[in-house]
Amino acid sequence: MRSAESPAGPSPPRPPLLRWFVLAAMVICMLLPIIPLVIWSFAFRWSFPDLLPERWSLRAWRYLAAPESQVLPALRDSLLLAGAVTLLATLIGVPAGRALGMYRFRGRALIEMLILAPLIVPAFAVSLGMQIVFIRYGLADTFLGVTLVHLVPATPYMALVMAGVFANFDRQYEDLARTLGARPAQVWWWVTLPAVLPGLVVGALFVFLISWSQYALTLIIGGGRLVTLPMLLFAFARSGDNAVTAALSLVFIAPAVVLLALIARFLGAAPAAGGIRGL
Amino acid sequence: MIGRFLCAAYSRLFLTLTLLLLAACAGQPGAPAGAGQQPFEQRYRSMSFEQIAEAARGQTVTWFMWGGSDAINAYVNGYVASTLKERYGITLRQAPVTDIVETVNKVLAEKQAGKDAGGSVDLIWINGENFRTLKEAGAVFRNWADLLPSNQFVDWESPSIAYDFGFPVEYDESPWGSAQFVMEYDSARLAEPPRSVEALLEWACVNPGKFTYPAPPDFTGSVFVRHVFYAAAGDYTQLLGPFDETRYAPIAERTWQMLNEVEPCLWRGGETYPQTSTALYDLFSRGEVWISMNYSPTHAANQIARGVYPATARTWVFESGTIANTNYVTIPYNAANKAGAMVVANFLLSPEAQYEAAKPEVVGWSTPLSFAKLPAEWVEKFSALLRPEAVLPADELAARQLSELQAPWLTRIEEDWIANVLER
Repeated sequence: MRSAESPAGPSPPRPPLLRWFVLAAMVICMLLPIIPLVIWSFAFRWSFPDLLPERWSLRAWRYLAAPESQVLPALRDSLLLAGAVTLLATLIGVPAGRALGMYRFRGRALIEMLILAPLIVPAFAVSLGMQIVFIRYGLADTFLGVTLVHLVPATPYMALVMAGVFANFDRQYEDLARTLGARPAQVWWWVTLPAVLPGLVVGALFVFLISWSQYALTLIIGGGRLVTLPMLLFAFARSGDNAVTAALSLVFIAPAVVLLALIARFLGAAPAAGGIRGL
Repeated sequence: MIGRFLCAAYSRLFLTLTLLLLAACAGQPGAPAGAGQQPFEQRYRSMSFEQIAEAARGQTVTWFMWGGSDAINAYVNGYVASTLKERYGITLRQAPVTDIVETVNKVLAEKQAGKDAGGSVDLIWINGENFRTLKEAGAVFRNWADLLPSNQFVDWESPSIAYDFGFPVEYDESPWGSAQFVMEYDSARLAEPPRSVEALLEWACVNPGKFTYPAPPDFTGSVFVRHVFYAAAGDYTQLLGPFDETRYAPIAERTWQMLNEVEPCLWRGGETYPQTSTALYDLFSRGEVWISMNYSPTHAANQIARGVYPATARTWVFESGTIANTNYVTIPYNAANKAGAMVVANFLLSPEAQYEAAKPEVVGWSTPLSFAKLPAEWVEKFSALLRPEAVLPADELAARQLSELQAPWLTRIEEDWIANVLER
């Protein structure tokens, strides 16, 4: 026990009991809502006062596994889409966040407003206008079009998180590296990136999840041609087929949980590395 | 400095990429028609079905439909898609949506954006107000359903086929299924259901809290309120024309009176109504209410098969009848694959595809085909299908069908229900 709680790193000491308690509470809060979903996905008849279903059935999972359900292609398209959105939002959001976080320049407030605008005006409110524009440019019903429209709500998060990270980033490290003869790319790769990586990973997770759970914008611009998991999920959620809805929900949240587990250490490390205190 | 360098490099890269991609997308021309050949839209009326099927070969038909039923999805993406591929070389792609009004809006947006050809929607499962909206906007492909060979088994003389919620179809959509409103009850709790609207409302007050209906504009709740409206009207056939305020007002007043009188007897004292029909099915499956309802005669049987309803659930129709409608598939005016869509519509309506869907273990579909027009062998096959106990016999349903009113009546009843019953 004692050896496990005293890591070599400089992380601030915390009372072990509290730490375990918080960890346990977090795990329970994350897992508890999933348990009924698992039960529902195998339930045949589960009515109100009963603690467990009267009978069990594999119907929902058999349906999901069958090619007729379109779940596998939808899973693939959702992953590709969220991946592309994350990549592009990072390419846009990191430089934007750097500019906003590190520099004082004329028009900064205006730029900040413009970047924040999609968070203030819901994208859905302007989606009809966007749809017309996208149709005219041949972007509607294409993968690229849906990627671009997902960027609208996703990019601000990346830019904001990175602005916070860069606000706490000490530029003297870069200057130091340069005086030692590092080229710009080397400075970025060896100095800046490691310093902002935890924040970048958190921002990327935000962006991935925003794209992953997008329904309305995918529907309007992708118009049913690009079938993502939320579209299958919503169709069943509205029809009252609880077993299939629960099974689809589990498939839907699985990547998020896996991602979260993979980057959990970044989430913990983020504040230590300058983090998002600037927000 | 570095920051500025990176920003500049990124923005240049980005601008280039975006422009390239935009150019690539915008540069794709619509597939050119065969040299010297007229477009399909101008010659389909003079083509035989074989020629249409030939034109359809190799097309990918995107069919927008409500995607909330595993049975229907499996039937469409399995049996229908594979048979179409095998027989006609057509690839069927289902686009599942939550509410078909989304697709109607999509077609209207394409029209507004001037995309008059090469549209993204080839076929839509539709009826009622959505069809009316599309047609009135000039956004449906006109006058094609009569060219389909399967059409010979459809009774176009029947107003329930030729009029979609009172709106003339004029071969702008092709029938796919039929539906009739039924009441649902649990025979383990209720030996004999009330067989008229008036008896039902009385029953509700003898068994307080055991009945409710979904709040309009929910589709199911709305059709239930129309049954009360019909009961208040006495003879509903006088209402079948266009909306008429002088006829509407007195009947509406009686309707709200009936519904307000029964309100305190409803579930939770009528203080609230289930927001959706799904919520009502939940209440019914838990036994909180003893009566449910649906616009499909096979819904209860499907719910039993899925373990949602108790196995003792049964259905009934009012002695004065229940409202029936037909649902259709239609082709948008700008569909890119009209020939393919017509072949799909024809196959969906064919006796073999309808028979497959009608099997209780497949979908339990109610066919719009007319038994008077079908060859005897098909009538025999359809009649020999095992009917689950929760489904009423076809002749009993057919004998008690009422027509739908035109859409403006429906909208007005829904709006006034909210003002006069919900918010009173």
